[in-house]
Amino acid sequence: MKKQDFILGLVEEMELETPITLDTNIKNIDEWDSMNAMILIGFVSDNFGVTLTSNDLEKISTIESIIEIIGIEKFE
Amino acid sequence: MGAKITAIEYVFPNRKITNDDLVKQFPDYDFSRFEEKVGIKNRYWVDNDETALSLAKSACNKLFKRIDKKSIDYILYCTQSPEYFLPTTACILQNELGLRNNIGALDFNLGCSGYTYGLSLAKGLLNDTNVKNILLVTSETYSKYIHPMDKSNLAIFGDAATATLISFCEDDNFGDFLYGTDGSGFDKLIVKNGAGKHKFYAEEELKQYGNDNMFTDNNLYMNGPDVFNFTLSVIPDFTLQLLEKNKIALENIDQVIFHQANKFMLNQLRKKIKINQDKFYIDIEDGGNTVSNTLPIALKKYSNSKKTNNIENIILVGFGVGLSWSGGLVKISEKL
Repeated sequence: MKKQDFILGLVEEMELETPITLDTNIKNIDEWDSMNAMILIGFVSDNFGVTLTSNDLEKISTIESIIEIIGIEKFE
Repeated sequence: MGAKITAIEYVFPNRKITNDDLVKQFPDYDFSRFEEKVGIKNRYWVDNDETALSLAKSACNKLFKRIDKKSIDYILYCTQSPEYFLPTTACILQNELGLRNNIGALDFNLGCSGYTYGLSLAKGLLNDTNVKNILLVTSETYSKYIHPMDKSNLAIFGDAATATLISFCEDDNFGDFLYGTDGSGFDKLIVKNGAGKHKFYAEEELKQYGNDNMFTDNNLYMNGPDVFNFTLSVIPDFTLQLLEKNKIALENIDQVIFHQANKFMLNQLRKKIKINQDKFYIDIEDGGNTVSNTLPIALKKYSNSKKTNNIENIILVGFGVGLSWSGGLVKISEKL
């Protein structure tokens, strides 16, 4: 997946109104809550077969940091 | 020699809590989105003077309007909200329901995997020739454990009780059951204080989790992401094993009914296992996640929606607190 498509996917799934980039700290956007954490887990599991644990969720900050946890090799 | 689910009844407490009621308490939270994604419109909570036992009695008495209570040979009572540490709540239930003295009665402590466990225990007990009719009761009042500022759990969980009659019959309507346990996840869904390990402590510190949810160790705590991950990683394969064990293909299953935890999570599971929407039960709007009660409520509602009395193969799977999971195949024909 292209990083840009990952961002577009997140915006769609999480119904974000705030624009995001690779440098956006996801926890600082208004829409970040436990439901969007659940949606993020589902989106990543569906598209990459990777499970984001509660520890991963604690660690993540920017979109780039989520990509690193998923595995940079899975992105074009 | 076999077993059959003969009848199911369920009750909710009278106090209905809508999402609009919760908005008044938590005005900053988007409950319309919660409703859309998680699929819950309202849940029911007991009042202070009600308990899981009083709910259980109501469910059983509803059942006794159409079956003879003198026929009951055994009570299996599934709860994590016992009336006392001791005695066994099922013993109190025997007396308060006016059941015979020469019957068996026991409690078992399981949450969302409890109903399918109960069905398989009943199946085993029916091999004992003295036991012909088993009353399987589930009852839960998690609302008593949840902190009043724990928005997420208040929104998800509801109270309820169910009563199922499982009877001996000549042809077998119960297929094979399978079980799973991973106690390493014991603290993913837990009420820490008040039992053997940690005493209830009135001055317990207020803690925060997720987005602005508050709780103390006297309350119910759920690590939502980890419970969700456990379900996604374990339940799809488990369901396929269950089909294999019963030597039946998914296409010959009439309905798959999972523990009704959360619509979003159920759809994730459905897509992973590749089950068509019309064969996959989702109805959590009225009542929410009622722990061990969701499966019997769903099974009753599904059977009542059947147009004919054809025999149908139903897969039931429960999963959650423990961590514990179990499932089995049952055949139903008439309305329950």
